[in-house]
This record gives sequence, structure tokens and C-alpha cells, in this order.
Amino acid sequence: MLWIGRAVLGVVVATALSAGAMAQQTVKIGAIYPLSGNAASAGNYSKAAIELGVDIVNNAHPDLKDLPLAATQGLPGLNGAKIEVVFADNQGTPAAGQNQALRLITEEKVVALLGAYQSGITVTASAMAERHGIPFVTPESVAANLTERGFKWFFRTTPVAGDIAKAYVEFLKQRKTAGAKVETVAIVNENTEYGTSIASVVKDEATKGGFNVALVIPYPANTTDVQPQVLQLKEKNPDVVVFVSYTSDAILYAKTMKDLNYKPAILIADNAGFNDPSFVKTSGALVEGLINRSSFAAGKPGSVSAIINDMFKKKTGVDLDDPSGRGLQGFLTLAEAINRAGSTDPAKIQAALRATDLKANQVVTGYNGVKFDEKGQNTLGSSLLTQMQGGAYVPVWPADKASGEIKLPYKGW
Amino acid sequence: MQPISKDHSRIRGAHLVLLVVLAAVVLLYPLLTAKFPVYQRLGALVLLYAIGASAWNIVGGYAGQVSIGHAVFFGVGAYSAVLAYHHLGLPPIAGVPLGVLVSVLIAAIIGVPTVRLAGHYFSMATIAVAELTRVMTTTSDFLGGAQGLTGPTVPRSVLDLSFTSSLPYYYIFLAVLAGVLWLTWRMETSRMGFYLRAIKDNERAARSLGVMAGRYKLYAFMLSAALTSLAGGLYLTMFGFIDPDSGLGILISVKMLIMAALGGAGLLFGPLIGAAILVPLEEISNSVLGGRGAGLTFVVYGAIIMIIARFLPAGLLGLLTRLFKKSAAPGDRDAA
Repeated sequence: MLWIGRAVLGVVVATALSAGAMAQQTVKIGAIYPLSGNAASAGNYSKAAIELGVDIVNNAHPDLKDLPLAATQGLPGLNGAKIEVVFADNQGTPAAGQNQALRLITEEKVVALLGAYQSGITVTASAMAERHGIPFVTPESVAANLTERGFKWFFRTTPVAGDIAKAYVEFLKQRKTAGAKVETVAIVNENTEYGTSIASVVKDEATKGGFNVALVIPYPANTTDVQPQVLQLKEKNPDVVVFVSYTSDAILYAKTMKDLNYKPAILIADNAGFNDPSFVKTSGALVEGLINRSSFAAGKPGSVSAIINDMFKKKTGVDLDDPSGRGLQGFLTLAEAINRAGSTDPAKIQAALRATDLKANQVVTGYNGVKFDEKGQNTLGSSLLTQMQGGAYVPVWPADKASGEIKLPYKGW
Repeated sequence: MQPISKDHSRIRGAHLVLLVVLAAVVLLYPLLTAKFPVYQRLGALVLLYAIGASAWNIVGGYAGQVSIGHAVFFGVGAYSAVLAYHHLGLPPIAGVPLGVLVSVLIAAIIGVPTVRLAGHYFSMATIAVAELTRVMTTTSDFLGGAQGLTGPTVPRSVLDLSFTSSLPYYYIFLAVLAGVLWLTWRMETSRMGFYLRAIKDNERAARSLGVMAGRYKLYAFMLSAALTSLAGGLYLTMFGFIDPDSGLGILISVKMLIMAALGGAGLLFGPLIGAAILVPLEEISNSVLGGRGAGLTFVVYGAIIMIIARFLPAGLLGLLTRLFKKSAAPGDRDAA
């Protein structure tokens, strides 16, 4: 009985959905994000950023004329067709991500997919897209193996861990040439996927760059006491400390370092927890001079990024953060390719994505542009470094994207 | 006497028709839903989770030993499959026998000291082992660490069991589930089944009659572990990816438990019924509500579980059995 009921329900629901799809005159894109579960907060900000992107593409924004598709209404290449994004919740599990990918492809009839935030879920969701021949763009998943699978329909706009580590090492080398004492490096990382993957790449790059990685300290992010870790740092006293942390642990480190009066000459924090608006609010005053990494910075008033940041703030009440900024860029890249393809045929969109060639002034994030290699990786992705100055992050490196001066050594509180 | 037995045979006939219809729907389901891949896949998912829940049922339902650490066997199965592919280049299915073996070993190692303990301690021991395994997996490069391992996405041969359509998965899972249920049924009707029921009812009484309670609970645990590991291996072939959370997370263990309990723990078809309700409920509520980003899916999901737990403590199948028993003649205990 249940089986019959379920089958009948399935047929009814599916028919209703496909009939609805036919009536639309819009171009449908699917977006799979963690809208519930551990990463729900980040996922919902990404959703808001993509919705902002839809607004930018579908409505006329003459003040953003440098951005492709912003000045016009809809997609000129498709007779002004509007874009509709269908969101799906990956619930933080690879299984739900893959199930939703199938639903978006077969029932919502989306022409391309975006997502899925967590690398592990991008693995399974993009596999479904690959099998169905639908382009999949990940704006934010950084796991190295994603682009090593020989996929033909997979594209990644974000810079990966290697690019990020190179930025740190390049920055440190410049400090060294400028005469600062930069010999030893310590890495403190939370011990799950994010922390361990970034830490191992930073370690490799730093060693290659001629620095001595004296200490790597993994710790669990849900810890309630980080005194042992800070005391370890204090004892070894490295010139540079790199933190890879989530939010509550980042706050804990900021407090504990003040309590134990520990200040390294250069303190670098890898995004994530240290970029969380709640970290900036509670601990910003304790980490003056902290160097952080971001792909998005609002920049000077009147610039494209500043206008977009204002729009986002108006919509959500907070500044556009780095992962959401990258999410927006992923969406805009995909929209631009669909417009250039002049078609909703997935194969034509795939070809257009391959031919993508956006310049630095055509992107929202601090990338040097968007151009994919044969594996689907954006070769022009880059990170800029920011510094905590007076309670807010200011872009300070590289010089051509900086809006403030670097002030070192690290000041703390 | 006469009218009662006439009534009885009419009910029997109705049962038979119902069974034939059910069997036909189960067998033809993927063909009926061929145009709706999401629902076809849903069918396969129900069967997959039913395999896990039925495996759990052997120790959790029949032997009354509530394991909350079955994720460890599920994970071992999934990891063995992906390791065969990742390190040896074999089809994932080739790793399944090893997974079964390792799972049985782990069950023996946990079981020998713990099946003697009173209920809660067994549950705690299983949680501890599963969580320990998850944390250790996170730090092992061989097992892919926290980033997990990927199976074959583009199939090299049919042996990779990597299909675009859910139809082959459906029939593979159906065959395995049939095997699991057959084994469970054989166990239920064998001496071991009677022993387990006696132990579950009153372990002291059973012991005093010469039932070696510890030994039979251990057997049930090992059998359950082996079959759960099978579910893990099949999961890997379908989803092609495993990481510590999706393979060894506590939610996996809890899902098996809830499905079995909801449908009817200790009943042959209980876990299948539980899976046939919960899996579509979760998937459909996520599809309909998930995109709004308000986390409503789990509110609805949780509410339904609470309602069932409050009003149907013996599970849905328990309710059906009671209803059938009321209408059937006394002594007819096959209704389950």
C-alpha cells in the first residue's frame, strides 16, 4: 500500500513539476548549498550572494557597467531571457547533495549547476552532473582532487589551497627582502579537512620557499582551552604564526594570546573563523595588525566591489564575506558563459565556459580574471591579503590591489 | 464455528491478493518510474537503507542489544570498497568481502567483553568504538584523512557498478535485501531465533534453562555487522565518495536504529517499512522545503518521528500486526 501510494504521489508531483517547468520562459540554473546543518550560516550567505547576482543580471545596473550583463536587463544573447536560480539544500551530506543534483537536472531541467560549498559534496554532486552532461561550476570548493578526475563538465573559479599558500609565501619573501627577520614559521590548524589540507600545503610551500617550518600544531576546533597550544608557540617563539581556524576557536586564540601576553612578529590567519563577522565584532580589538586572506575586498567607494558590498549589506545586514563573494563570482561567470553561448543547450554552455576569458576589471573578486585550463581550473584565481586595522580588514597586499599600508610587527591589543 | 472460519479464509484471501500486488509493485517499481529518475532513485535508496536497517535489526531488534555504533561496520564496508579502487585499481565491489571480514572481526572484538554487560553499556561501547574509528580515520592518510576518498565516477567496466540510471542499483539492492531478509527469516525460525527471543524476554530465565546467552548475542552481533558492512559497500558504489562523516558519523547509526524502530524492531519486515516511510519523507521534504534555507526539512522530519514514537511505540508494523491479530483467528501469528 505504501509503495503504491508513494509511486502515485511520485507521478503526481513529478508531472506537476515538469508542467510548471515548461511554462517558464527563463533560463534555469540549479544551486546546491548547505542551507541546513553545520555550514548552514555560510550556505545561506552564499545563497543571498547568488540572489544578488540574479538581480544584477536580470535588472539594469548602469553603475556596474564594467561587469558583463550588469548594465542590461536579462541575457542579451538569449533575447533578454531572465535567469532563475533553483536552490537545493545539500544538508551537509554527500548523499543529499547527489540526490538534489539529480532532482535539479531531471525535474527542474536546469541547464547548469552551481555549488556545493563543501568539497566532499561537490565530489558527488558534480559526478551526477558529469553523467548527465550538465556543466557544473564550483565557486568555492578547494579540494585539490576535484579537478584531477578527468571531468569534461566541471569548472572551478576559486583559487585552490596551493594558490593561497603561494600568496602567503610570496608575501613573507617580500618581507624578508625588505629586511625583516623571517626565518621560522609555525602552523596552528584545526584538525578536520579544511585545516589539515591548508596546513599541509602551506607547510610544503613555505619549506620550498626557504623557510623553516618549526612547528605544526593540529587541534580540535571544538576545544575549550588553547593554553597548551599558545604556550608551545611561546616556547618555540617562531617569527611567523599561521592560524587555520574556525570561529569559536579563533576567538579563543585571540583571548588566550592576550592572557598569556604572546605576540609573534607576524601573525597570519587563513580566512574562515577569522573572517567571520562575529570574530571581528568580539575580538577585532585584540588582533590589531593580523594579516588575513580574502578573495573579496570592498575596495574604494564607488568601485564595482564597493557598490556590490553595499547592495549585499542592504540585503543581509552584513558585509559580503569571502566565500559568498566567490559564490557570486561563480554565478556571474556561469551567467556570462550562458549569454555568450546564446543557447540553453548544455553542450554549448560547456563550450562557452571553456572559452571564458574575463579580465581583472570584469570580476567582482580580487582575481586576475577567469580563464579555465583543460581541467576546468581557473588559472587566474588569486588571493589578496588584508590586515586588521582599527577593527576592520583593509586590503594591503599585493600593492596594486591594496588600499592601505602594511603595518608590522603585529600589534595585538 | 462455521462463520468464523469463513471469515478467516476471506481475510487470508485478501492477504494473498495484497501480497501479490505488493510484490508486483516492488518488482516493477523502477519500470513504472522510468520517466521519473528522482523517484526511481528514491526506490533504490529505500532498499539501500532497508538493507542497513534490517542488518541492525538482527542485533538491535531480535537480540535486543541496542547498538548505536553500527556506522563503524557501514564505514568499514564503504572504506574497504573505495580502498580496493583507490589503492589497487580494482572495482570497488572487490573490496566488499574484506569489509565483511573486518566488520565481523570488529564485532567479535567489541562483542566478547560487552555482550555480557547490561543494555546501556553495550550501547555506550558501540558509540565509543564508532567515534574512535571516525576520529582515527580523520588523521589517516591511507584512508584519505578528513578529505575522504573518491570511487570511480566514470565507469571503466560494468564491474565498477557506476551507473547513470538508478535501475541497476534498484535490482542489485533488491536482490541483496532479499538475501538479508531470507537470512534473518532463517535465523528467526531456527534454534538461534528462539534462543534470542528467550534472551530478550528474560535473559536470566533463558540462562537458567541452559541458553548460552552471551554466545548467541555475539553471533547475532557478528551476523549483523557483516550485513551492515555490505550496505556500506553498496552505498559506495552508488555515491562514489566516502569521508569520515558520511561513512562513520553517528547519524548513520542513528538512522538505522530509527528506521528499524519506526517500522518495528524485531520484526522481519519492520526495517523495510521504516525505510519506506522515512527515506521518501526525508527526500521529499528536502526537495520541497530545503531550497528555502529555513531548515524546515528537519523540523517536519523530526515532528513526524515524534508523533510516531508517541502513538506507535511498537512501530508501524507492530500496529498493523495488532490490527490483523484482532481480525484473524487466535493462534494465527504469521501476520507479521
